[in-house]
Amino acid sequence: MALVLILLPILAGCALFALPRGDRLWSRVIGCAVAALTFELPLLVGNDGAFAVRWLSRPFTASLHFAWSGVSLWLVLLLALCTFCAIVATNVAQTRTLIALLLLLEGTMMGVFTARDILAFALFWDLMLIPPFFALVEWGTHRETAWRFLIYNFSGGLTLLLATAAFGILSGSTDVIGSTHQFAGSWAPWIFAGFAFAFAVKTPLWPLHTWMPATYADSPPPMVAVISAVQSKAGLYGFIVIALPCLRTAMADWRWLIIALALVSLLYGAFIALTQTDTKRIVAYSSLSHLGLIVLAIASFNPVALQGAVVYIVAHGLFSAALFLILGYMEEREETRSISKLGGIGANNPKLAGAFTIAALAALGLPGLAGFAGEIVILTGVFKAGYLWPALIALVPIVIASAYMLRLLQDAINGPVIATLPQRRDLTFAEALAVAPLLAALLFIGIYPHAILTAVLR
Amino acid sequence: MPNFITHEDWLAVLPLLIVGGGALVVLLVDLVWPKNAPRYVALAIGIAVLLAAGAFAATTYGRSYNAFNGGFILGGFAVVFQEIIVVSAILSLALFATFGRADRMAGITALMLWSTSGAMLMAGAANLMTIFLGLELLSLALYCLCGLADRPASQESALKYLILSSTASGFLLFGMALLFGATGSVTLASLASPALISNPLYWLGGGFFLVGIAFKLSLMPFHVWSPDVYEGAPLPVTAFMSVVTKAGTLAVFARFAYVVPNGHTLLLPFFVIAGISMIGGNLAMLAQTDLKRLLAYSGVAQAGYMVAALAGASALGVRYAIYYLAAYMFMNLGAFAVVALLSTDREEGAQIAAFRGLAQRRPGLAAAMSFFLLALAGFPPTAGFLGKILILSANVNAGYAWLAVLLIAGTAISLYAYFKVIRLMYDRHELPGPTVGTTAPLAYAGVALCVVFVLAMTFYPLTPSNVLPLAK
Repeated sequence: MALVLILLPILAGCALFALPRGDRLWSRVIGCAVAALTFELPLLVGNDGAFAVRWLSRPFTASLHFAWSGVSLWLVLLLALCTFCAIVATNVAQTRTLIALLLLLEGTMMGVFTARDILAFALFWDLMLIPPFFALVEWGTHRETAWRFLIYNFSGGLTLLLATAAFGILSGSTDVIGSTHQFAGSWAPWIFAGFAFAFAVKTPLWPLHTWMPATYADSPPPMVAVISAVQSKAGLYGFIVIALPCLRTAMADWRWLIIALALVSLLYGAFIALTQTDTKRIVAYSSLSHLGLIVLAIASFNPVALQGAVVYIVAHGLFSAALFLILGYMEEREETRSISKLGGIGANNPKLAGAFTIAALAALGLPGLAGFAGEIVILTGVFKAGYLWPALIALVPIVIASAYMLRLLQDAINGPVIATLPQRRDLTFAEALAVAPLLAALLFIGIYPHAILTAVLR
Repeated sequence: MPNFITHEDWLAVLPLLIVGGGALVVLLVDLVWPKNAPRYVALAIGIAVLLAAGAFAATTYGRSYNAFNGGFILGGFAVVFQEIIVVSAILSLALFATFGRADRMAGITALMLWSTSGAMLMAGAANLMTIFLGLELLSLALYCLCGLADRPASQESALKYLILSSTASGFLLFGMALLFGATGSVTLASLASPALISNPLYWLGGGFFLVGIAFKLSLMPFHVWSPDVYEGAPLPVTAFMSVVTKAGTLAVFARFAYVVPNGHTLLLPFFVIAGISMIGGNLAMLAQTDLKRLLAYSGVAQAGYMVAALAGASALGVRYAIYYLAAYMFMNLGAFAVVALLSTDREEGAQIAAFRGLAQRRPGLAAAMSFFLLALAGFPPTAGFLGKILILSANVNAGYAWLAVLLIAGTAISLYAYFKVIRLMYDRHELPGPTVGTTAPLAYAGVALCVVFVLAMTFYPLTPSNVLPLAK
């Protein structure tokens, strides 16, 4: 069944290219149907949907082995939900092509999140870089953004490849995700370094983040919603299911470096977000800061922190998708992303303003919404693991988050209506339909984080 | 020791004889045909002959026979290499469907077949004489083929290839002479003697021999001929040369590498050269504006990958070299087929500028070309991706991790060059290039076949067993 999750979006995405170039309606209908199906499928099928065939038997055994369970199930659901929300109100030039790319992205990322074999994981890892590249080529405004995205991320993909080959040769099999297989030895630190580089570029961690703000600012909003909400989680997912269980001792050796980089990302992202004037870049840098917190949680080797990390992964996915989508709607209406030119949108667009406020509050960690649930569990776990100072340092960016998010709210949504801005209608039905599930999920997980916490325990 | 030749010996080389004899048939048919034979007659006979030879060669898979007193060895990897050579010859012949000079078709086909039979001889050659015979048969026909097009560049290409390739042959022959002096025998098997290690003639001869091989494989710094020759030669010939020369030479090198004593020391400089090719070839690709030159430099790097797979002379290494060679054949010939479909006789399609906005004009061809370029760059889901994984693991396994690191670094560099072309095809902001192109069903079939195989080889990685490079 897991194979359906991968192939259905990919085939549907390819099939969309058969539609006429200017099509808007049918590609949206098909895209939404496919995304909804992929969301429903893991919920309806009772088991973990395992699919496995032998792929290589020499020089190491590898299988095309896919299944969802635990963390991977939540990421699959998050991915399907975000794809649905991104597609439902897509409104750009070449809508058909964008939706096809979104479906291809969904299918390849389903492969990453359901792979039970590191080689299959690596295959889909590289594959998921292609749709965003094409999106940047088609809709990006700066030539170099696409290159930066590709070269950074594929360099990561290549070290992942080398590490996978070495891992396979030395441990005999790559079919190890979700098993209790542990790998140690003199090569383990280097293999871990290969994996960690790829994951750190994708997450991203400071100082490998420089591709990220430009990519997020330049991609069309539906694409960036999926990339920031879900694709950035592939790195964290890799840390959780490959590095943490399989290369535990090696990761423990590198622990302090990872914690240090995570703390720098946390602080750096938050402070830079304060200084940005481009709305999308503010949210992009806030992502750097939030994801640093998750890396810190993973590197603390504490089960409670890990649970918090998974809650926060889902929470961040939900609110960053919502934020980027709404910022996209805002840009479409006001034709600018500059915070100094925006103002008073809330007066004429109450629904848009309300939705944005909820998402922003979730991002700054308001209790009752999912962001807070993740943050508090992570900080508790990190503190319990004995990392007093890192936990204290991690509190600082949470305070700063309030500052930059409230600044965004104040300057763009509230304040006097600026007469030079075009006055356009409030959220359409489709746009509301895109944002509502994300906000509802934020509220649900904020009130009942237990749903995810238990999933990780299993 | 039997000194006479039996019919078994002739049976062993029957595939070659079919191909070589088929060339005569093509010429005869052209002769007796009223006026000139149409293009498709020569092509059809050529492809039929190659299919027959391939089918016959396939029946010998797994059989082991030492023909002509060790001159030609059937068994081991000979059959696999022969099949690869035959398939690339068929795909390259198919590209001639787009070639303008239909009146020269019979001669072209005959030359291609002779060249192919030379490469097939190299695949099984196990003594120095047959190696040289095969190499010269391959090269002589290629010199003529390079000069076929009605462009000054084509004649220049033929002359350059003649001079530089002859120089390389000279090195090779000199090395062979010295090796013969060291062992007193022309068979490769006689090299497998540890006593040779103390013989300076062995080291000197081995060195010259390897320089000749490096020339033919176009490894850096012996690659300078390849971009110029590739650029000038008619496109189908370039396609043929890029795979078949590599296949034949790689077979010879593998046989040599797996038999020599103290190979780690003798071959180390050769693997260093392979490493240089991976980095240098990919770096040089970045600056190219002509797709044939780009693919020539890409070939330099890819030859480096294939040689790297043989480092350490492990049983698995040779399988992965063969796998990568087969993958390279499909992705490289596929890319050439797309270029051929976008060209007339002046080969406009070879200019990278011709790919501007191709996705708007020919979406299918643009998608296929992107797929082949992704494969060459080692992106999934292509055989290029899996081939790289296999080579990396062979290197790690054999204790040549530094080659694996160089391979990764080289691949990272190559990204920009391959994606530059992909981007040109899909970027709306680029001015569209000129629309030229031919419609040749045969070449379209070649593209489709290559796509299918590059994809299928990823998920069904056939790496045939018992393909060790036997020397006796």
